[in-house]
Amino acid sequence: MNPASNTRNWLIDNQGLFFMAPAMILFIVFVLYPILYIFNASMYDWDGINEAIYVGVQNYIEMFTDDRVFAVSIRNSVYWTFLTIFPQMFLGFILAYILTSGVPLQNVFRIIFFMPAIVSPVVLGIVWQRIYAPFGGLLADLGREIGAMFLIQPYIADPKIAIFSTIFVNVWQWTGFSMLMYVAGLQGLSGEVLSAAEVDGAGARQRIHYIILPMLRHVHLTLILLGVIGTLQTFALVFMLTKGGPNHASEMLPTYIFQKAFTLQSMGYASAVAVVLLVIALSASIFQVRVLGSRFTIGS
Amino acid sequence: MRATTAGRASSKRSLGKGLAFIFVSILALIWLVPIIMMLVVSFMPPDQRAPRFGGLLISGVSLRNYETIFADTAVIRHFINSAAVTIPSVALVVIISSLAAFALARLKFLARDIWFYLLIMTLMLPIPTLVVPIFQINKALGLNDNYLGLILPYTALGVPFAIVILRSFFANFPIEIEEAARLDGCTRFGIYWRIMMPVSWPAVAVVIIWQFMTSWNEFILALVTMNSVDVKPLTLVPLVYSGQFLMRPGPMFAILTLITLPVIVVYYLMQRFMVSGLTAGAVRG
Repeated sequence: MNPASNTRNWLIDNQGLFFMAPAMILFIVFVLYPILYIFNASMYDWDGINEAIYVGVQNYIEMFTDDRVFAVSIRNSVYWTFLTIFPQMFLGFILAYILTSGVPLQNVFRIIFFMPAIVSPVVLGIVWQRIYAPFGGLLADLGREIGAMFLIQPYIADPKIAIFSTIFVNVWQWTGFSMLMYVAGLQGLSGEVLSAAEVDGAGARQRIHYIILPMLRHVHLTLILLGVIGTLQTFALVFMLTKGGPNHASEMLPTYIFQKAFTLQSMGYASAVAVVLLVIALSASIFQVRVLGSRFTIGS
Repeated sequence: MRATTAGRASSKRSLGKGLAFIFVSILALIWLVPIIMMLVVSFMPPDQRAPRFGGLLISGVSLRNYETIFADTAVIRHFINSAAVTIPSVALVVIISSLAAFALARLKFLARDIWFYLLIMTLMLPIPTLVVPIFQINKALGLNDNYLGLILPYTALGVPFAIVILRSFFANFPIEIEEAARLDGCTRFGIYWRIMMPVSWPAVAVVIIWQFMTSWNEFILALVTMNSVDVKPLTLVPLVYSGQFLMRPGPMFAILTLITLPVIVVYYLMQRFMVSGLTAGAVRG
């Protein structure tokens, strides 16, 4: 066999590569190269315009030993992870359970609860500023009207509660998504097992606890996986609602990266923060996929 | 005896259902408040100076805010910019990801599984980690302030999720039909294009909604890529005009409504595919 026909046979056997080529090229240019890029850039002191100065691991040392905002961002990410994922799953499951049980208008309700998930966080950030505003804001005015003074709070002006006010909006936005995933999961459950349990005298609470929730394990895992990734890329909502403030109190890693890179012109330092974020995201995701068996969709 | 137990159980069940209905109704009303507020404030008469309850109560309904934004801002221009970025990225994602998903589901080739895992890894990446390098890549390619500077990264970042959805859809396609087509002399591309794509529209619909929503709403890459006002998409408009409109919620909320309307329309038109599409292989249409 001559080399030309060898090549030809190889190409026929591997024609899948032609189908893959556009996706591969985009992946290399806009994902793989950027990853290598931030690892490299994180070793430099660089303003993005002038000559970069090699500083080794200096950016990392500074980040971990002498950077209060970085520490606050990490702490906020931990808050955000736990305070969004579990409330969303809890409420999302309750809604999905009710909205697959044959209540009237259940499709309308599903659309209503899912709606915030499709609205731009930029829009929601501005709308919630008006809900939280101390004067003329929805909550404050409501509190004054009905005498519920605890509703009058400096929701986004107080550094102690700004991050929690932002997390609350996020829970409101994404609960409908959890609901939709649980609806799909519940619809995929075998009706036979459930009715068998009912015949055996299992009450609703027992059925949920011993049969439905364990059978929805793959949905829980998917929601945790997506929740962690969602937390780690939170940007627009924080940027519009609090700008990461007051005094960095509600800063998240993405808003900090943006601020370092594009407001303070420290591209090198921003890249180092990005590397840390990347490592956290990849190790958390790989752990969940390999050890817990999470997937990105809840089907096969 | 049996009958009364059953009767009591069923009346207990319908009572439970009634309570559940009341619970979700109240919660749904609360859930909608921010969206209703956005709409109501956008119709606020301009002479109403201090809207109470965040603007939920307005003194009348007026279209003046919409007239203002169309007259005083280039909002149509920004709307076109959003469409000029979103529509090509949706089209490219559908084409590129379906080709790749077909290969990953149906063909054998060099390092197939490695490519699949690499692409899946993209789903785990927080996009803000890539913002500095993508900014620099666009700068090097002269794509800042250019639609392509957003279309290409949006496509690259959207392809992996679309591949996950489409691949499991293609993988469940009956092998017999493919073999029959092969015997009739159909090429691999023919199987993809003429046999699989036409029956895969439920999965393609999900890819379209998802890519439309993410591209239309995307913010951080748009923020760093589009510096000239002429090319800014709608999501950046609140920032551009925040100085002018900060004291005037009416026009601002009219813009927010305009940003939101297209995603609601696309979602509403295609929402019946959402549940089955997200579960990909589990529930097939």
